[in-house]
This record gives sequence, C-alpha cells and structure tokens, in this order.
Amino acid sequence: MKRTRTLGVIAAVATIGMLAGCAGNSGTGGDDADTLKIAAFEGGYGAEMYKEVVAAYEKLNPDVKIELTTSKTLADELTPQVAAGDYPDLVFLGLGAKEGFTESFVRDNNLEDLTGVLDEKIPGEDVTVGDKLTPGIVGNLNTNPYGDDKVYLMPMYASPTGLVYNQKLFADNGWTVPTTWDEMFELGDTAKAEGISLFTYPTAGYLDSYFFSLLSAVGGPEFLNDVLTYKQDVWKSDDATEALELTTKLLSYAAPTTVGYANGQDFTKNQQTILDGTTLFMPNGSWIANEMKDAPRTDGFQWGLTPVPAPEADGTRYLTTFVESAWVPKEAAHKDAAKDFIAYLYSDEAADIFAKANAIQPIQGLPERLTGEAKDFYAVYSEPGVEAVVGAFAATKPVPGVDLKATLFDAANSVLSGTMTLEDWQNQVNEASNKLTDQLAG
Amino acid sequence: MARRPVSLNTRGKNRFVLLCVAPAIILYVLFMVVPTFDVFRMSLYNWTGVGGTPTFAGFDNFVALAGDMQFVRAFQNTVFLLVVVSIVTMAGGLVLAGVMTQGKVRASNLYRFILYLPSVLSIVVVAAIFSAVYDQQNGLINGSLNFLGLDSLSQVWLGDQKIIMYSIAFAMVWQSLGYYLVLYMSGMSNIPAEIYEASALDGAGPFRQFFDITLPLVWETLRTSLIFFIISSINLAFVLVRALTGGGPDGSSEVLLDYMYKQAYTNSSYGYGMAIGTAIFLFSFLAALIISRATKREVLQF
Repeated sequence: MKRTRTLGVIAAVATIGMLAGCAGNSGTGGDDADTLKIAAFEGGYGAEMYKEVVAAYEKLNPDVKIELTTSKTLADELTPQVAAGDYPDLVFLGLGAKEGFTESFVRDNNLEDLTGVLDEKIPGEDVTVGDKLTPGIVGNLNTNPYGDDKVYLMPMYASPTGLVYNQKLFADNGWTVPTTWDEMFELGDTAKAEGISLFTYPTAGYLDSYFFSLLSAVGGPEFLNDVLTYKQDVWKSDDATEALELTTKLLSYAAPTTVGYANGQDFTKNQQTILDGTTLFMPNGSWIANEMKDAPRTDGFQWGLTPVPAPEADGTRYLTTFVESAWVPKEAAHKDAAKDFIAYLYSDEAADIFAKANAIQPIQGLPERLTGEAKDFYAVYSEPGVEAVVGAFAATKPVPGVDLKATLFDAANSVLSGTMTLEDWQNQVNEASNKLTDQLAG
Repeated sequence: MARRPVSLNTRGKNRFVLLCVAPAIILYVLFMVVPTFDVFRMSLYNWTGVGGTPTFAGFDNFVALAGDMQFVRAFQNTVFLLVVVSIVTMAGGLVLAGVMTQGKVRASNLYRFILYLPSVLSIVVVAAIFSAVYDQQNGLINGSLNFLGLDSLSQVWLGDQKIIMYSIAFAMVWQSLGYYLVLYMSGMSNIPAEIYEASALDGAGPFRQFFDITLPLVWETLRTSLIFFIISSINLAFVLVRALTGGGPDGSSEVLLDYMYKQAYTNSSYGYGMAIGTAIFLFSFLAALIISRATKREVLQF
C-alpha cells in the first residue's frame, strides 16, 4: 500500500517534469522592461545589415536595449509565439510572403497605426520622416492596406521590378529594347529565328510585378486601383481583356522549359536562361544581381531593367516598385520605442548601412549616391515616360477557398501549356475577384 | 525468502499498473486526443489563426467546402496517390520478397540493402533527388533518353499537368518499397521450409506455392501494414508535394494536407483549414475501416 502511494507520487512528478520540460523557454526571454524586441526576416539582403543598424542605434541611444532575432523562416517561428501572446515590438516582414503572416495581422486589424511616425524627426537630422520619404511611397495600398490615409506598414527597401535582360546581348545583336507591345512581339519573332526565346518567369508568382505594370500601362493608375480593390466585374472590362490578351500572346513566346522549372526547387534554372543567353526577358527585381552573383554567365553580361511595354507608342510605362514593410503589432509592449527606431531607419546613416547589402531605402537623395549594378537598376526611374507604381492587392477579410493570386498568376502555367484558354482564365479571375469585392478588411 | 514488493490482491495490482501507465496516458490525451477534438471544434469557427478572436460560424465552412473545386481536385489527387502507391508498393514488396526468400537469388542481401536505403532518407532529400532526376533537360531520365536517341519519349515530368501525379507517385513508391520489402521478407522467412518441400512433393510450382502458402501465411502482416501505409501516405504525399512542386503547376499536384495548410495559414482561414482537416480525418477513418473489413480473413497458422 505504501509502495503504491510512493509510486503514485513518482508518477505524478514524472508527468509534471515531462510537461515542464516541454514548456520550453517562454519565461526566460528578456523580462527587462526596456528591451525592444525586433524580429527581422532574413531574405536576399541577408541579416548582417540588421545587426549593424541595431548596433548603430544602440550607440546613439545607450539607454535602449535591443533584442534582435533574424530568421529565414520568420513566419514559422513567430506564429506560435504570437498565438501564445508573446508579440515582438517591431517586425520586418513584407506582404506577399508564402505564409501570409503580415496579411493575417492586416486582416485582424492587429496593427498599430504608424501615421504619427511620418511627423517624427529623424534622429540626428533636421527633417521629418514624411518629408524625407520618396513621394508616392506612402499612401498606397502597400503602406495603407485599408485604402484610407492611415499608414500601418512603413516602407522598407524600395526595389524596382520590371523585365530584366542582358544589355550586352542586345548590344551585340543590334536590338533595341522595346517600348511598345508591337515592338516586343517583333523582337520575339526576330529572336525566335536565332533560337532565343522572348520571355520566361522564375515562378508564376513573379508575374505580380508584371501585371501591376501592365494594368497601369493599359488603363492608368486608377484602373490598377480598381483591380486592386476588386471592383465588381473589373476583369471583364476592355482594359482587362486587352491586358490578358497581350499576356496570352506573350506566353506563346515563352521558353518551353519555363513551366517545368517554375517551382520552389528549380526556379533559379529559369533565371539562369537569361544568364546563358537563351532567353531575353524575365520579370524580376534589383535583388536578382545579388541572388545570382555566383552563377556562370556569358562574357560581358550586364544586367538591365526595363518597364513592361505600353500598348501605344509614347504611352507611359510603369515600374512596379516592390516595397517591404516594417510594422508594429497592436499588442506590442514598447510601441513608442519601436516608433523611434523606425524613424531612425530612414536616416542617412541607416540607409548607408542598408545600401551596402543593396537594400535601398526609399528616401530622397539616395539613388544619386548609388554605384555599380544598383545604379543601373535605379537609373530606369529617370527615363522619360517612366513612372513608379507601388502595387498590392487590398487586404480582405479571409475568404475560404479564394486565392486571387493563385487564380491570376499560377494560371499562367496552364495558359502557357495550352491547358487553359483565355476565356477560362478571364472568367475564373473575374469570379474570384468578385467574391472579394465586399470583403475588404478594415 | 525476500518479501514480495507488491500485495497479491488484484486491486493493488491494478492500481500499480494504472499508476505506471498514467504519465503516458496523460501525455497522450493532452497532445493527441485534445488537439484532435480541437480540430473539430475550430472547424465550426472563423479565425485567422494568428491574432484576434474566433467567431462562431456553424457549418458554413463545410458548405463552402462542398463547392470548392480546388478541394475536389486535391481530394482526387490524394485518392489517386493512395490507390496507386499502395497497390504498387504492396504488390511490388510482396513479389520481390517472395522472389528473394523462395528463389535462390544470389547476393539477395545486397539487393535488400540497396532497396531499403531510400526508406531511410528524409522526404525532403527524396524531393531534391527527384527534382534532379526529373529535370527536363539534364535529368537522369530525359538525359538518358537523349543519349539513347529516344528524345521523342522525353517528357516534362514536373511541368506536364497530365503526368505530374504519376511522377509523384513514382517518387513515393521508390521511397516506401524497401521498407515493406524487408517487412514481408522477415514475415516470409518465418515460414518453415518443410511446408514448401511438402507442397513441392505434391507437385506445386512456385506460383501455386506463392498464392496458396506464402500469401495466406503473411496475410495478417500485409493487412496491418496496408492500413498503416494508407494513412501514412496521406502525410507522405503532403511533404513530398510541398517540397517538390508546391502544388503546382497551377494546382494540378495539390493534395489534401497541402491544401489544408495553404487555407489555414496562407489564406488566414484557419476554421476552413480545420474543416478540411475534419474531412481528411473522416476520409482516412473510413478508408482504414473499409480496408480492414475487406481484407479480414481467418487467421492461418503453421
């Protein structure tokens, strides 16, 4: 009897011990009241620049302690933390990532209003954040996801995207970069005679920047905004039909290996075809230079960037500017300290640290200081007839089973392979978009 | 004589046993049973899965599920994989095991080793291997066909929507075959040789011996492994598809668990994802039940 009771105690202790072991380190994180917790996504720009910026900020403000976490799989790590109520104070993670982490905060209205940061003075400088930012970089659906004038996502690292190509290949063959779609298709025929394909894409998801530029070029920024806010039947309009027709024709010029490599494992092989000189254009951004820096290439290869062509001659062409985000969860503990840190991110000092990793802050005066490949990419903004557009689909309440991006972009794989017709594509996109018309969040 | 530590009466013995298994039972209930009921519960709510509070939605998620074409396609793909991969793996494993135990195959240990190796690999490694094998230009298959001058036969294994499920099925079979081969071989080697000798004396050829002696005597092993394999295939397919194709091109290789993950996390529709999870649970439960009933036979022993 006594033995059984002892055994009972041992059993209870064993269970509790196992459970305590499973509980993990939730209590051992910085309990210090003044520690600013920053979580940053380690993407193509790496993690080193975050460490340097944090060190520089701590030097300027010795009474602030910062705990920085960087990870290539940030969303996977933050999701359980956040579900347990442990929110970081500042997060560097943009919209459009596979896990949709930032999107879920937008949908839940769980973000801190950062409009006040625009009026904050940048530490060490005489100008406010709002005045220093490039015009147009805030006030769009990327920074104001609810379509009003409240900023929730501060813009980080503006990266121009468009059609990248090899400048040397064009120079050698005496080809000019097309500015209209007629010129584009003519070039496609000429190149096909040489055995070179006109177009490819790393994965179908990269068509987002292509579409935002194309829709703006075909119907203007107001039309793009209608599309991004899911106006009823916007995809059946003449402008949308024209855009889809041009794209279908473009896909018929695509490299035959595109679809087979358009997945997470092999997408760099599609990108390699540009470096090998077997394809002319692909939609991509300024990060491509760093991403493929170790890849073999043809002699004299030089990255070039051009906007998506316009339908008529002298039409305005648009460069989709891909912007990442820094944001503060509504439940964060040190929101004011986070906002001060955000203001610092736009100082010249911080911008130079970021620029070393080719991450360019969208502030005035920076593009002129760039060198090398970055200079080539940003020079496109100053070409005549070229304007910048920042695109992102408006945030919606979650709608089960509806994924507009997959319906619009992934379908390109089917259109390319010939398993989907233009009408089917248009119909399914329109249907998906219509389901989201009344579901705008906020 | 030492005193016996436990009292002889049954009540004391039962209590002792109960206390010994208590920790394991508590952990099992906490980490297996409770989350399962949570899946059913969350399927009745709408939630983004990250912040905010869940809102009750009744059976809305299931109604949406019934009309979701993507779900239907994921379901079809999963069933296809389960059927094809199970049949090929089990049949292949049985036949090879039969050949290697009964026939006098030289170096059968070497073959067994080579065939078993893929089962040890992580699925992500398998995905990387097959991504290289299926490469449309330089991969093992297309490259060899090219070399032999048969490049009209080369396909875009991971790009052609019509054959991509077969490519995935092949990768799954490759990974699982060795394990079941070894399992059946050990089951078959237990059968005493006298039975085969006696049947040979009665004039039975190898095929007759296989179907009338070997198969019935390993039936229980086969049955159990089949049920487990079907259920584990659902998970295997998910990991392989996620690593190899991501569900593409254009959703043609989507499988149930992958679709559930995408809906629950990427689309922030956690409740809908849980509804899919409930559907998967019911499906695998029914599948296991049906197969268990269909393969029930009188247990033969030697």
